[in-house]
Amino acid sequence: MKRKILVNVVGVLLAFLLGAVVMLVQGYNPLETYYRLFEYSLAPGKIAYTLSKSVPLVLTGMSASVAFASGPINLGQPGQLLMGALLATIGGLYIDLPPLLMIPFLLILAMLGGALWSGVAALLKYWFNMSEFITTLMLNMIADFFTYWAINYPFFEANANHPQTPFIAKSGWMPEWGNFNSSVIVMVLAFGVIWFIVNRSTAGYEWRLSGQNSLFSRLGGVNISKNYLVVMLLTGALAGLAGGLVVMAGPHRFIKDIGGNYAWDGVMIAMVANSGIILTLVFGFFFSVLQTGSLGMELITAVPKELIQVLQAVIVLIVVAGRGYFETFFAKLEARRKMRERIA
Amino acid sequence: MADIIEMDRIVKIFPPSLVALDAVSVKFAKGEIHAIVGENGAGKSTLMKILYGMQPADSGEMVYNGKKVKFSDPGEAILAGIGMVHQEIMLIPQYTVWENVVLGYEPVKFGGRLDVKKARELVKQKIDEFGFNLNADAKVEDISVAARQKVEILKLLFRNVSVLIMDEPTSVLTPQEIPQLFGELKRLRDNGHTILFISHHLEEVLELSDRITVLRKGKKVGTIKTAEATKAGLAQMMVGREVIFDSIRKNQTAGAVLFQTTALNYTDPDKRPRLIDVNIQVRAGEIVGVAGVEGNGQLELVNLIMGLIEPTSGSIKAVGEDITRKPILEKRKRVAFVPQDRANMGASISANIAENVIMTHHRLDQRFTRWAGRILDFKQAASFTDEVRRKFDIQMSSGEAVFKSLSGGNQQKVILGRELLLEAPFILLDQPTRGLDVGSIEYVHQRIIDMRAQKRGILMISADLEELFRLTDRIVVMHKGRVVADLVTEKTNVTEVGYLMLEGAAYEA
Repeated sequence: MKRKILVNVVGVLLAFLLGAVVMLVQGYNPLETYYRLFEYSLAPGKIAYTLSKSVPLVLTGMSASVAFASGPINLGQPGQLLMGALLATIGGLYIDLPPLLMIPFLLILAMLGGALWSGVAALLKYWFNMSEFITTLMLNMIADFFTYWAINYPFFEANANHPQTPFIAKSGWMPEWGNFNSSVIVMVLAFGVIWFIVNRSTAGYEWRLSGQNSLFSRLGGVNISKNYLVVMLLTGALAGLAGGLVVMAGPHRFIKDIGGNYAWDGVMIAMVANSGIILTLVFGFFFSVLQTGSLGMELITAVPKELIQVLQAVIVLIVVAGRGYFETFFAKLEARRKMRERIA
Repeated sequence: MADIIEMDRIVKIFPPSLVALDAVSVKFAKGEIHAIVGENGAGKSTLMKILYGMQPADSGEMVYNGKKVKFSDPGEAILAGIGMVHQEIMLIPQYTVWENVVLGYEPVKFGGRLDVKKARELVKQKIDEFGFNLNADAKVEDISVAARQKVEILKLLFRNVSVLIMDEPTSVLTPQEIPQLFGELKRLRDNGHTILFISHHLEEVLELSDRITVLRKGKKVGTIKTAEATKAGLAQMMVGREVIFDSIRKNQTAGAVLFQTTALNYTDPDKRPRLIDVNIQVRAGEIVGVAGVEGNGQLELVNLIMGLIEPTSGSIKAVGEDITRKPILEKRKRVAFVPQDRANMGASISANIAENVIMTHHRLDQRFTRWAGRILDFKQAASFTDEVRRKFDIQMSSGEAVFKSLSGGNQQKVILGRELLLEAPFILLDQPTRGLDVGSIEYVHQRIIDMRAQKRGILMISADLEELFRLTDRIVVMHKGRVVADLVTEKTNVTEVGYLMLEGAAYEA
């Protein structure tokens, strides 16, 4: 456990060191830059904003983590996010309920949208034995253009000079207190539920073991195809939920490129987190710190915010590669100690 | 006799802390057959791999022909005259015998073209020189496993190797083929070759070798002359205590039929028949063995019983119910299963021990779940893991430890414990002792006998005839997908079963 934390911390520090070298080469002051980065994202009053920004990262990250840990290679988070966002928007355009009912209703619609889209991939597997690795990627494209069409034609805001829908009903806006958006509460709840399912439920146990060794689990009586379907639907719902919250917490309408790069960042977060649920939360927040802070960094110092993308990629590379390397490193260290004992 | 090889205080540590060889010193004399015996994990193969340059030693020295040597890869060792025949045969099946033998060491004509005529002649000469019964022009895919092994040996002889290392050469052979191999090895020795022979079959070692070195847990126990050795004495040296080898069955009358396959047929997706009209019966309190050379339908039989594949026709009945096409969980209420492939079928090696132990139980036994089966009870899982640990004498730090941190024997005990505690009336064992050391084998055998005493029905597939004769009441022999004989163990013998395995037809004495 300690070793696991060490690997992650060392990996992140090394990545920062490399980032510093890049800045030095270009003539920036790395200490100043890093100070501004964290000041902008972690100062009191800013941290609430950073937390709110972490919501789609953590949710899509958990979607990818649960899928990868259970076997299905669901890479459809971008498409599932968009479909979730679209369905929630449509609900918000045509239905108006009191907020206490409206918000859960739209969130359910968002999850439904995501699950619908991952469900298509699951059905393609069931009927034609097509790998979800391919189909989810392809479905991303379809979702991309389908939602683009939807906001250009049927749900287009009349007279807008930009592809977007009108605002959803006010009752569906996630309440905000200062910089703190209540979508964070939804994220924390989702995290609790997912952690419990994965680590405490019978289904989660079966998913984890099937992810590690599906033949063994099958022989042990686990219903592999049913679990596959459930995991696909659940992880689709998580990505859809992220999409719904992006609409409900942010612009309150579906605008072009609303999905941004959240879902791919989420997949990256799942990889750094080695598909662990808690680590996904930690890295999701950390990536949000970097992304929020990059704005401040660019404002105050002259360092372009694109540097943060470099930093993120380097963190992923070092932590993921380091995980394997550290294991061998510690093993060798132990062997050398034994050797010395034997000679003495 | 002069020593040709001297290995001095060889140490090998596999990270992080497995001491595979602990300052092992051993001398091999020129022109002897020197057996290296020991349980699994004793360090036999590691010692030979170091000699052959496949693995570096962490410390220690080697002297070969009076000179200090260190081989950094097998190529150097072969050049110096030391060759190794591995357990798995590594030849190109589409090539002929002579092509395989000369590969990488081809005689060439002017311009670097292969001198086909000369190459073929040279190989034929070698075959005659050593009296091997081989056809140089046969394709390797068409010849028997025993013949392929000869090709491997010939390959090394062609490179003028004077020291031959054989890693468990008999493990791929049938009982009938072993004497021939031994004859050839003895002839090579008389020719001045030195043969180092790794084995854990004591009978073979006693029959073949001149001297024997025993390793136990990475340490050398001693080197003795074969003429002065006894089987019991060697076994004791190997395990550090006495082992019994006789049949351990007690007389007991079998009960009702618990398991039955009726006219079972299976044709694989390539339209090849794999199982043909297989009828096998197992009664309560009876151990039925399935003998056969690997690849004669045993794998398909196991997969059919467990539901990984579906039969073309026929049925499988267990405990009075037709389970042919039942979901696996439904089968598991009646069938306990110990697979031969621990890492792929028997466990999830990266999960922890407790998670491995409760598999299947978590669905069949309500005490492991709450909320109508939806939530796992980890306290129950932990106490059950402890129960398995106590009942099956498993060496482990805790149930939280990852499964792959266990030794092979302990891994098998965890799997065995999980399956036997399922309380299923019928038990399917597929090579339950493969790759285990003598101590663990003994333990597993005792547990199997206990199950028989509890009136469970056991079907055991095994490639080890000694094991089958030790445990079973009946032996069915499989050959090319058919059951060619159903024999009462007490009324048959190893020669007859071995002959049936090979020929598929009745043996005529």
